[in-house]
Amino acid sequence: MNVPPYRLLRGYSLDPAFSTRLDTMGINEVTYKVPWESLAAGPCGAYFEVIDYDPPSNCWYEPVDLNHTYVLAQNGLPPSEGNPQFHQQFVYTIAMRTLVQFERSLSRKIIWNPRVTEDESDPRKKTAEYVRALRLYPHAYRASNAYYDPEKRAVLFGYFEAGSKVREMNMPGGVIFTCLSPDIIAHELTHALLDTVHPRFIENTNPDVAAFHEGFADIVALMQRFTIPSLIEHQIAQTRGNLRDFSFLGELATQFGNALENNHGALRSAIGKINSEGKWERMIPDPSLYKTEFKPHKRGAILVATIFDAFLRLYTLQTEDLIRIATNGTGVLQPGAIHPDLVKRLAREACEIADHLLHICIRALDYCPPLDINYGDYLRAVISADLDISPVDTNGYRVALIEAFRSWGIFPETVTTLSVESLRWEKTDQLDEVFKNIWNKIAQTFREPLREIIDISQDESRDRREEIVVKSVALQARLHTMLLEKGGSRFNEEFLKRYDVRLTDEQWSAFMETIGVIDKKPEFKYNGKPVEITTKPKIEIHKIRPVFRVGREGRILEQMLITITQKIEIETGELKGATFRGGSTIILNLQNQMNVDCIIYKRISSAGRFERQMDFQTGSQGNFSFNDDSMYEDDCGFVNLSFSHLHSNGF
Amino acid sequence: MKVNIKMFQVGELGDCFLLKFIDGEKKSHVLIDCGSFRNSNKSKERLQKIVKHILDNELSGGLLDLVVATHQHNDHVSGFLHAADLFKDKVKQVWLPWLDDPRDPPANKLRLKQQNLLDKMGVIYQHLQQKNLQEGFPITKDILDFYGATDDGPAVPLEAMKILRKMGKKPVKYLEPGTVENIPRFTQKQLKAYVLGPPRNPAFLYDITANKDETYDHKLELAFSGAEKLAHALENKNGITGREEQQFPFNLHYKRSKEKIDSAFIGLYDDPRNDYRTIDSDWLNQVERLALYMDSYTNNSSLVLAFELVESQKVLLFVGDAQTGNWNSWKTLEWKGAHRDFNIRNMLQNTVLYKVGHHASHNASLKEAIEDMTHEDLVALIPVDRTDGNITKTNGWKMPAKNLYKKLKTAAKHRVLVMDVGFDDDCRPDNGTTGWSELSAAEPEYNEDDLYISITVED
Repeated sequence: MNVPPYRLLRGYSLDPAFSTRLDTMGINEVTYKVPWESLAAGPCGAYFEVIDYDPPSNCWYEPVDLNHTYVLAQNGLPPSEGNPQFHQQFVYTIAMRTLVQFERSLSRKIIWNPRVTEDESDPRKKTAEYVRALRLYPHAYRASNAYYDPEKRAVLFGYFEAGSKVREMNMPGGVIFTCLSPDIIAHELTHALLDTVHPRFIENTNPDVAAFHEGFADIVALMQRFTIPSLIEHQIAQTRGNLRDFSFLGELATQFGNALENNHGALRSAIGKINSEGKWERMIPDPSLYKTEFKPHKRGAILVATIFDAFLRLYTLQTEDLIRIATNGTGVLQPGAIHPDLVKRLAREACEIADHLLHICIRALDYCPPLDINYGDYLRAVISADLDISPVDTNGYRVALIEAFRSWGIFPETVTTLSVESLRWEKTDQLDEVFKNIWNKIAQTFREPLREIIDISQDESRDRREEIVVKSVALQARLHTMLLEKGGSRFNEEFLKRYDVRLTDEQWSAFMETIGVIDKKPEFKYNGKPVEITTKPKIEIHKIRPVFRVGREGRILEQMLITITQKIEIETGELKGATFRGGSTIILNLQNQMNVDCIIYKRISSAGRFERQMDFQTGSQGNFSFNDDSMYEDDCGFVNLSFSHLHSNGF
Repeated sequence: MKVNIKMFQVGELGDCFLLKFIDGEKKSHVLIDCGSFRNSNKSKERLQKIVKHILDNELSGGLLDLVVATHQHNDHVSGFLHAADLFKDKVKQVWLPWLDDPRDPPANKLRLKQQNLLDKMGVIYQHLQQKNLQEGFPITKDILDFYGATDDGPAVPLEAMKILRKMGKKPVKYLEPGTVENIPRFTQKQLKAYVLGPPRNPAFLYDITANKDETYDHKLELAFSGAEKLAHALENKNGITGREEQQFPFNLHYKRSKEKIDSAFIGLYDDPRNDYRTIDSDWLNQVERLALYMDSYTNNSSLVLAFELVESQKVLLFVGDAQTGNWNSWKTLEWKGAHRDFNIRNMLQNTVLYKVGHHASHNASLKEAIEDMTHEDLVALIPVDRTDGNITKTNGWKMPAKNLYKKLKTAAKHRVLVMDVGFDDDCRPDNGTTGWSELSAAEPEYNEDDLYISITVED
């Protein structure tokens, strides 16, 4: 017999408490499909290891065996708050579903960040250890919190006792498990996945970075809800097709939020909230918020609201005809319930739009600069990613996104108009012919090895991700020696000779500039004083990845993605401990002419960006927020984001 | 009329302020807080010396008209215990926040809950000490010290509060935000004391729809239950025995000891190569987070007073250690008898003297409020001693917070007084670039012998 494509597993579609509400009990239990893989008890698969150790309770819970005949026979254990084995199954289910979204959108295998350790005797010697699986600890601690720990390559879920008062759906004194909220799981997993795609995004270099991590995680959690048709049908029937009125679908982690706050408190209501009359209402776009709100959650909510705004615009646009058909052309619905067929059709549209948007949002990650992300960059990434995959925007996605970003006051820097053409990352037509030639040679050299990697990724018979790592690392080393002399600061003469390319020193410097790096010591001033930089910054080929995608219009895309970074560490003076990076994401087209599609750079030589980052990190502008709001801190400093603090609800 | 303000040097972290309102022969003396962080003999003696100086030299033979205690932290109230004998029969009346009113049922409930949380945190700390783990919890230790909760014997702040309740000749007055109080011997035509916090409105206390960040209380219960579960968890190390633990979070029959789990599975966790991924003690980080929460909670319970010299409308703002929640709640306050468009903004714009909250930590002065303090006579007083071991140690308290200090200097044209040295070099009155010369009143006076820095504001 063939291996089945999917494993079916039952679980909650919303938070567990919705099973105890008459109006939602019917839709709160769904059967999820996750890709079949061979699983050990835990469950432990290729990507995830669920380890159910509960240190505060000083105990372990028996790991669930999802291959057990009885479990298989009933599509997994039945949803239950009181059975830890179901918790293990559920964490695994939602983690896999989130992973699948990323793998599908990025069309490559997810490989967790390697663990880099320094040699004890020589800190410059570093080894990178392959990390096969992310750890999931469903009952790690006692707190109203869950967080991704980048060091441990693990997500820790907390549990806690709800307050003694009746609050919405919670049982007073009942136990709330964060590992049973699909939103929380998806949110935390997204942090882990985003960190894997862009490890530099945990460096808190501008007010958007933390907010982007938060907002993006919520977007994935929210949009993932729209992949459950029964849920959407139910909401559409209730709101008579008007998604602007909908309620719980737009709130994340409702039960968790209710237990924390007094009432009506979903954990995050980025897109609306219950007003003083007890009616749900959508958040009205407010373009001033982006300039005034700096708390990561609230600033993140702006991004979620923006994407959701685009979703609503698209839904309205694409269902107008259905409504007209159903209303004899008047567009005005009769009072009462709408026809179940119409519900189904509307729901299908909503699901499809959400699915596309989610994919655009994830795919855009490949079009982001490798560091110092801001919302404006992200808008440009979204537009560029979508242009590549779907040159003709027949369904209005790009326009809807631009409208939404505009209505929330998010404008990219250095873009003069909000048209698709000016928002997309610049095409590299202006690039010097010599430079184009260099990239062309690189593309030629790397096409075959990259195709090998693609072949390995497409082999579904077993987990071959470690092979991909080995091959990719070798390619990175090869590009490094090909492009740069040993030590990484000069162009490789041999390469030039071999391809008969001639570069003067000026040209080489100019080439470096085009990819955001420099070949000399940069000079910066801060507060009028020169900043002492002791060493010439080294260049690092950060990642090389193949891209092989099929677009909305059936277009096949074959690209090579390179990220190059360079860093400056400041060791003395008032900025001691600061790290400043520059670099770029380079997208090479491996088809036809094999040219550069675009170079998305953040220049390391940018004095303005340096100053802004230092101002932000030393708290001089007031536009920062703290890892920890206590007397132990006085600026956000040069430390990385702490997810456990980002998520703590006051403690 | 005029008012003289003295900031006393308590020698470590702590607040002690004497306000002398003077109109010709008419005088009124108000003491706001009297405490320092430690309860050592040295700390006690210093506070006693200060109190003695106040009573002997500052009152012209009279009594202290008012004693105000902002909140129950050692560094604000310890002196009332350590110098209790000196204060005896010398105080007319004590002002406390409504949260301390024994006849106020919601206040009683909140106070009880707070005390419960504190007790629970004490229990947790004892557990940690027994297991010799306390070194890993410096924040918890620091914070419990604010309540005198790691000392032997009864907790100093709690005892000080008991003394405060009996200290005055007249019964204690418990103050509500939104009221305007009289200063003895002055009419409200001359002098008003506006009460700003702690927030009273139950909407602020309980209703989350008000705004998540503007309340300080709805989490108290959750924090308590969290602390309780942590305390239980610390007992679990000796086997799961507690009745509640047998059901929490799962029924006992789901709970297994490590030996009962398949060894191959355990091997994954125990593999030395996976050491960096273990989570055996991560759950204890929650102790520090709860301690920080408790600290903010108490700071937010600070009594906040704004004294207005009516003729010139100048305001002296004493915020205790109020943190963000308290500050935010002022935005919607309306004072009885005040004219309709009078609000916190007017008050901030007229502030000529700001007692910087929480020893100038970054989280106790709302940024936009400082930006509203635009009066050209503004002076800031920072009760901080930068030689305090808690500030100088590694990962110590950031007091004064760099950027706040900078901002205050700009807002007050370098008229910033600091408790430890009177004034930093860039704020010295004899330094021509500071704004002291613009003030009509006398320059600040730094009296090293009598341990104070003094400044006078004229109506």
